[in-house]
Amino acid sequence: MTDPIIVVKDLVKRYGSFTAVDHVSFEVERGSIFGFLGPNGAGKSSTIHALCTISGYASGVLTIDGIDVGRDKDGARSRIGVVFQDCTLDPKMTVDENLHMHGCFYGMPKALIRERSRFVLELVDMTDWRKAMAGSLSGGMKRRVEIARSLMHMPQVLFLDEPTTGLDPRTRAEMWAYIDKLRRERGITVFLTTHYMDEAEICNRIAIIDKGKIVALDSPSSLKKRYAADKATIASRDPEALEKLLERHGMSYASAGADGDYLIQVEDQASLMELISEHRTSIGRMEVSRGTLNDVYLEITGKDIRG
Amino acid sequence: MRVIGALWLRNVRLFARNRVQLLLLFIMPFFYLYLLSAIFKSTSVSQPIPYVLAGIVMIVVFQTSLNIATSTIEDIVSGYMKEVLVSPVRRISIVVGQILSSTTVAAFQAFLILAVGYALGLTYTSMVTPIAIAGFVVLAGLVFSSFGLWLAASVRNSQTFQIVSVAVTTPITFLCGVYVPLSLLPEGLQTAALLNPMTYAAAFFRALSLEKLSLPADELVAEQLAFRFHGVLITPVTGLIILAVFGLICAMLSAIAFTRADFSAMNRSAIQKDVFQQ
Ligand SMILES: Nc1ncnc2c1ncn2[C@@H]1O[C@H](COP(=O)(O)OP(=O)(O)OP(=O)(O)O)[C@@H](O)[C@H]1O
Ligand SMILES: [Mg+2]
Repeated sequence: MTDPIIVVKDLVKRYGSFTAVDHVSFEVERGSIFGFLGPNGAGKSSTIHALCTISGYASGVLTIDGIDVGRDKDGARSRIGVVFQDCTLDPKMTVDENLHMHGCFYGMPKALIRERSRFVLELVDMTDWRKAMAGSLSGGMKRRVEIARSLMHMPQVLFLDEPTTGLDPRTRAEMWAYIDKLRRERGITVFLTTHYMDEAEICNRIAIIDKGKIVALDSPSSLKKRYAADKATIASRDPEALEKLLERHGMSYASAGADGDYLIQVEDQASLMELISEHRTSIGRMEVSRGTLNDVYLEITGKDIRG
Repeated sequence: MRVIGALWLRNVRLFARNRVQLLLLFIMPFFYLYLLSAIFKSTSVSQPIPYVLAGIVMIVVFQTSLNIATSTIEDIVSGYMKEVLVSPVRRISIVVGQILSSTTVAAFQAFLILAVGYALGLTYTSMVTPIAIAGFVVLAGLVFSSFGLWLAASVRNSQTFQIVSVAVTTPITFLCGVYVPLSLLPEGLQTAALLNPMTYAAAFFRALSLEKLSLPADELVAEQLAFRFHGVLITPVTGLIILAVFGLICAMLSAIAFTRADFSAMNRSAIQKDVFQQ
């Protein structure tokens, strides 16, 4: 990696005797989007908490922008923005007051606070609610305000712990468009955890963590190449002949459904083409689909992500 | 500095937005007014108003400081403290901001009560006394706010905190000589009272507002403004020092708690855990 902004080496985090994060190491390239995926309880939030200085860790070296997180906490703090998984708004203060306090905490001058809060509220489309008490907002609105707040001080690294949970699809899309714009124009690095595979798709790199250990770390396309074969579904009028062909080409398959569809793993396109041309007179219907990140995830963790 | 100011303003605002709290703040002095005038009519103590008033002011300062300072527990439980702690704000600024805001509210209420007392005919011979009283009210507010903040920062869980709060405030308010004179307490409790910083706050404040600080030691002891413990004399001024040191220690412990403690998983797991503990 040419210019890593986050470097995590051998991070171990324990709660009592339970090891939540177990020797995790990875690097995040400056200006990229890094996705952290994994089942509930895998240790994603625990890793974020350690990285953003609000919880200790048993061992390991964490650096953000060259700063040792364990040593110079304030140096690290001033470079990051965080949206935690649980709401951290001040419920009895208005949206505006929440943003203003945030600006104070980060030492922003008054005029800049005013200008930025207008800008970030516009961004998440919450301008009309700026006088509302934060505690009275709906879940999704709170989330939008939190995202706006984390952008107030234009951090170099933005940690987003399941940022779009509870957002409606339109806000979700707009948020990502904007975060991507920030990344391109200001070089902000985004570290995100999510359970939505379409969000994971926009990441430059993905780490999949399970039971506190990183089990895969690569770009989405490499992961797909490696773990999620393309699939072909063929409905044949002559199943016996198809099965013979499949065996001859050494392709693994399963017959799915009552209508006799065959679900075929495609390891290389050429043999699929051959098979199709040999069998073309008997093919009723067919469909070829690309492997998805969801397949990758299921393959690696062996569980359904939403279940 | 700016952060301290912002935190102070936020907490005072938070207090002012709570209608019930605000109402109580203004009603309390009149409640004490009633109480005092009743006592005034039926008692034969010399200088009953300043005597009773001094004790009540201290109790009010204690309770209000502790209440407001411990509302920090709500910030911890709501998750807001995470937002504060993840920012580069100095931990000591957080501590000072919280302490100053609860001191402000407590002192304001104490002054209201004293104003009521003044309307009732409370007078001082020296011009210095009211100024010294104001100063001491603020000091006591700072001390008890620090204590409250330290409690909140160490417990960090609202259910447990309610129990701890009762377990701590009850002995402190009852073993300080305001409600029950210390001489009426059994030996063991008298010793316990001497470990109670509130005892010294109440004694010093009484000595100050009765303008008796310069009395000889024996008379001070007789009026329970000074204490003798195994032959060692604890004068009101010694008491003042004990109180200040206690406050300083609490403030330092809170600063340490905010630097060291793990606030990362407050709202969810703290509550879940409690369900199983009970
Ligand atoms: N404060 C805590 N005390 C004890 N155990 C904890 C604490 N916080 C987290 N854990 C445990 O550590 C493990 C990792 O938790 P973490 O919150 O990091 O998971 P996660 O990957 O963020 O999961 P999710 O997708 O549900 O957010 C879990 O088994 C959890 O029970
Ligand atoms: Mg999590």
